[in-house]
Amino acid sequence: MPRATSDAKLLIQSLGKAYAATPTNLKIIDLYVVFAVATALIQVVYMGIVGSFPFNSFLSGVLSCIGTAVLAVCLRIQVNKDNKEFKDLPPERAFADFVLCNLVLHLVIMNFLG
Amino acid sequence: MAAPRHHHLALAVAVALLVVTAAAADEGGPRGRRVLVLVDDLAVRSSHSAFFASLQGRGLDLDFRLADDPKLSLHRYGQYLYDGLVLFAPSTPRFGGSVDQNSILEFIDAGHDMILAADSSASDLIRGIATECGVDFDESRVYGWCQDPEAMVIDHINYAATDAEGDHTLIAGDDLIQSDVILGSKKIEAPVLFRGIGHAVNPSNSLVLKVLSASPSAYSANPKSKLASPPSLTGSAISLVSVMQARNNARVLISGSLDLFSNRFLKSGVQKAGSKIRHEKAGNEQFVTETSKWVFHERGHLKAVNVKHNKVGETNEPGMYRINDDLEYSVEIYEWSGTSWKPYVADDVQVQFYMMSPYVLKTLSTDKKGVFSTSFKVPDVYGVFQFKVEYQRLGYTGLSLSKQIPVRPYRHNEYERFITSAYPYYAASFSTMGAFFIFSFVYLYHK
Amino acid sequence: MAEPESSTAAAGGSRLRNACGGVLCAFTLLLIGVLAFSIRLFSVIKYESVIHEFDPYFNFRVTQVAKFSKHSIVSGDCLCVHCSNILSKRFLGYLPFNKGEAKGTGAGLMAAAILAMVPSYISRSVAGSYDNEAVAIFALIFTFYLYVKTLNTGSLFYATLNALSYFYMVCSWGGYTFIINLIPIHVLLCIVTGRYSSRLYIAYAPLVILGTLLAALVPVVGFNAVMTSEHFASFLVFIILHVVALVYYIKGLLTPRLFKVAMTLVITVGLTYASKYIPIIASVSEHQPPTWPSYFMDINVLAFLIPAGIISCFLPLSDASSFVVLYLVTAVYFSGVMVRLMLVLAPAACILSGIALSEAFDVLTRSVKYQLSKLFDDSPAASGDSSAESSSAGTVSTNSAKNETRPEKTETAPKEKPSKKNRKKEKEVAESVPVKPKKEKKLLVLPMEASVLGILLLIVLGGFYVVHCVWAAAEAYSAPSIVLTSRSRDGLHVFDDFREAYAWLSHNTDVDDKVASWWDYGYQTTAMANRTVIVDNNTWNNTHIATVGTAMSSPEKAAWEIFNSLDVKYVLVVFGGLVGYPSDDINKFLWMVRIGGGVFPHIKEPDYLRDGNYRVDAQGTPTMLNCLMYKLCYYRFVETDGKGFDRVRGYEIGKKHFKLTHFEEVFTTHHWMVRIYKLKPQKNRVRGKLKKLKSGSKASSTNAAGRKKNPWQ
Repeated sequence: MPRATSDAKLLIQSLGKAYAATPTNLKIIDLYVVFAVATALIQVVYMGIVGSFPFNSFLSGVLSCIGTAVLAVCLRIQVNKDNKEFKDLPPERAFADFVLCNLVLHLVIMNFLG
Repeated sequence: MAAPRHHHLALAVAVALLVVTAAAADEGGPRGRRVLVLVDDLAVRSSHSAFFASLQGRGLDLDFRLADDPKLSLHRYGQYLYDGLVLFAPSTPRFGGSVDQNSILEFIDAGHDMILAADSSASDLIRGIATECGVDFDESRVYGWCQDPEAMVIDHINYAATDAEGDHTLIAGDDLIQSDVILGSKKIEAPVLFRGIGHAVNPSNSLVLKVLSASPSAYSANPKSKLASPPSLTGSAISLVSVMQARNNARVLISGSLDLFSNRFLKSGVQKAGSKIRHEKAGNEQFVTETSKWVFHERGHLKAVNVKHNKVGETNEPGMYRINDDLEYSVEIYEWSGTSWKPYVADDVQVQFYMMSPYVLKTLSTDKKGVFSTSFKVPDVYGVFQFKVEYQRLGYTGLSLSKQIPVRPYRHNEYERFITSAYPYYAASFSTMGAFFIFSFVYLYHK
Repeated sequence: MAEPESSTAAAGGSRLRNACGGVLCAFTLLLIGVLAFSIRLFSVIKYESVIHEFDPYFNFRVTQVAKFSKHSIVSGDCLCVHCSNILSKRFLGYLPFNKGEAKGTGAGLMAAAILAMVPSYISRSVAGSYDNEAVAIFALIFTFYLYVKTLNTGSLFYATLNALSYFYMVCSWGGYTFIINLIPIHVLLCIVTGRYSSRLYIAYAPLVILGTLLAALVPVVGFNAVMTSEHFASFLVFIILHVVALVYYIKGLLTPRLFKVAMTLVITVGLTYASKYIPIIASVSEHQPPTWPSYFMDINVLAFLIPAGIISCFLPLSDASSFVVLYLVTAVYFSGVMVRLMLVLAPAACILSGIALSEAFDVLTRSVKYQLSKLFDDSPAASGDSSAESSSAGTVSTNSAKNETRPEKTETAPKEKPSKKNRKKEKEVAESVPVKPKKEKKLLVLPMEASVLGILLLIVLGGFYVVHCVWAAAEAYSAPSIVLTSRSRDGLHVFDDFREAYAWLSHNTDVDDKVASWWDYGYQTTAMANRTVIVDNNTWNNTHIATVGTAMSSPEKAAWEIFNSLDVKYVLVVFGGLVGYPSDDINKFLWMVRIGGGVFPHIKEPDYLRDGNYRVDAQGTPTMLNCLMYKLCYYRFVETDGKGFDRVRGYEIGKKHFKLTHFEEVFTTHHWMVRIYKLKPQKNRVRGKLKKLKSGSKASSTNAAGRKKNPWQ
């Protein structure tokens, strides 16, 4: 047991250390993702309390958060310098795609919300 | 069913055009007032004068004819000359003029009413007409070779004590149908005198009702000869007087006794055998008056008008409903009292909201002024629905209303908006949008 | 694409050749487009321009509401354009699709050419077939193409487009569930086989979110997009994908032993998913399975080319080619279940056989070329040169499998020698040849005779295919099902009975009257006769169909009651016995019995079969000979020839003289193909027994008893 805890401690420490090395722009994205996921979770909890009556609103609320998170993760994958797969994809292009995708997402959300 | 409605419609049009006689037109009653009386002997006119007088007293216009009158005709130039028929010609083998069994039946199928009375000498013609109306007069003579053709209903227990001949064929019947519509609201206290042949009706035939049934001790045989074989008709299976309301609401009364309507029976007193009570007057007068009122649609005739439906809070009838709309349905139902249309009062009128099967079945509530109404929510199913009222009650004319109405789903912009409980979701959606802008800004300018 | 050689030998020329190749490709595509367009015009040439399938009438009606068009001619013609537009659009979609698989433009073009003529697709997209499936298949392929494209590039842009084209598909056809199940399966396959990449994530995750939201916008789908089991698969895979992505991310951060644990977790979840998925597939099966002849009819020689295509897909297995294989396998399964989904199979079959054919041609022409060059040995320097130098590029290309980026690289390669116009044409033809010259030299050298023979055989095969397709387009699928023709000694007979009957209905019945028929004719009745029908081709409520089926298989009186309770005024049956039209209601009747019996168990199929044989002659069962369908079809039939000889079944019918008591014949078309009956109104009076009469009156009194059950009329 203590071994396991120390292992976990070590793991967390090394994770933290590794994470500290990530560039700032990725950290911003991570923050954004965390925010979106947290909002999604709050909504799910709220739905659990209130019930699923305006189901479309719930869906659009939660899916907008998840969608945002997913898109941000996609952006993160693309702009990550460590990722070899997207070496030749300029970050500007990646961001433009990201913005386009978000616009579509939010348009749909707005449509579906009411 | 379209037929009765069409009939009413046609009638209404006819009334409007003053084609029918003024008598029929002035009150707008359900039936005209001209009645053809066919007798096989003009003596019947005087021997049954009390009954005829009661008919005439109620405004019926009687036209007496001999059954074999060669100029006899039910219609002229495609129009029926009469609105009702009283067939007091039991023994006539065939009618004169252009009238035969089929023309009588066509007359009924065209929505006219008939009173038919037979007796033990009933001819094949009369029997045939009765059979077509679902009533089988005793035909025992065909089977029992030894029996006399003239079988009558005999009851050795429930005979009238005044029966002079002693063969117990004068029956004091008191097994009447329980129906205020047919027999009037006033109870018939005295037994009804009957002398004639019995008939049977098919119990599965929903159109025919036994109004006056024989007692369990009755049987059908020839009183003059010995009973050689068991009688074919016995007990309360024997019907003495029956009524039939056809699907087009034509009404027919069939009696196995012509004497039932006679002045003699109407006026005489009655004492049932073995009973202490002696009635000064037999129940016949009340019985024939009330049943003839029913037959000639002076009672129990309903009409439904002003079928309306609208959304709650509106008055105009929409061409289409949306699912989950709240709607109001109302219909006015009146009953003909013989002189005027009176509001019909009942608590069992139901409306169906119907598409292949009823989705909604609601009992209509009445305001006692003839208006029946209810409100309900359109089911969450779209398609072509119908409002259906199917009202069939014993003795009343059937009401069958249907109105088609499409139900559509929500339009895109008709869903409920800005629900309070959904505000967190709105907030979340907008916050992610806001977060997206902030994020974009921060991301682009963080260096 | 095949430019490794040009990068070294002829970089400048490569550009030119690229351009010429592009032009050639476009030209070929144009030709294919023309071909596809014209092959679909057969029906318009042979018949007048009418909409002629059963289903499309519904679609026609929908547009009619929108723009109240002048009958079918306008829409019929504009649809030709419509369809072929879509087709050519689709070829454009195809080309990169296959390119993405590193199978070369040749394969793309080949697939496009094959697809332009594949009969099963023609059957749906023939001019005048106003069918949404034609559009839907384009949407389907386009979605797949974009998915593969996203998978290759990892671009969010394509992912968005993918979601939008998925939306298009959802709008056009209920078969979109095929996409939303196939793609997750592929993702799962990739994950399980350890091919997870961040591109997979980008291709899939936004698709699920956006696709679900967009699908929920379509009214028909609505909340089903998240509520029904068909869609659960995608969400489950979505979650798995996230778990896997997280695991990979953590694994990228540091490499702890956690990884193994995560993998086992994923595998167990994957198994759960698979077991969950089986009933979903099974639930789709409600239409009739196709027969083997219909496979041959619809995809013809492609059936033999598919295995070859699969093998060549596996040679360098990439994400994309595994997707194609997966697509094919599922499509084969689905088409085996439901004949209509043959349509989904057709594109897959075309792609794979396109690949197979182009590979085969590649190999054969290459070996011919090689043999020739060896034989004449006149330009050893040039060919040896190019092959030697391109060998390195070739191996690189095979390593990195499918590279969209590769053309860009070659574009930017330094230009060395200006122009080599003299051999441009020749090179274009041989362009696809030198992809892997080295490999070819080692493995794929066939003897001269064999390769020439092989090419000839393939050409003959292709020729057969073309002949078959043209025949199918001209004869089998262009014939509209509402106008029929037959050839006889004295020329062409046209049977226009359907339109005759519909015209009768629209002129002789009340607007509100309801017409009952088997659902195949529902749309047509609605569109052409403008009458309400009980069930039509779009009826998903099985109970309604079963009710009509039960009525048709019941005796007259019971059927009358059923129809009467449905407010039906007229009953329409299609009868081919007089002219020998085989797809009539008698031949469809067992389906009515089955579907009816499925809901109302008192209808039992064995009652209609004599020793397992379905027949309506003297050996037919009494149930069969007394059911409404038999009576309505064969009423008065014996009057035509005195014997009652049914030309479809080929024998004399079992019961020749009978009367209808509850139905009344109101119209029968010229060739007796459509017969319309009216429900007799209920009798005004109910007769008594009339004991002395013959037994006939007995029946009428039982009728009276039976009718009483229905008190509402």
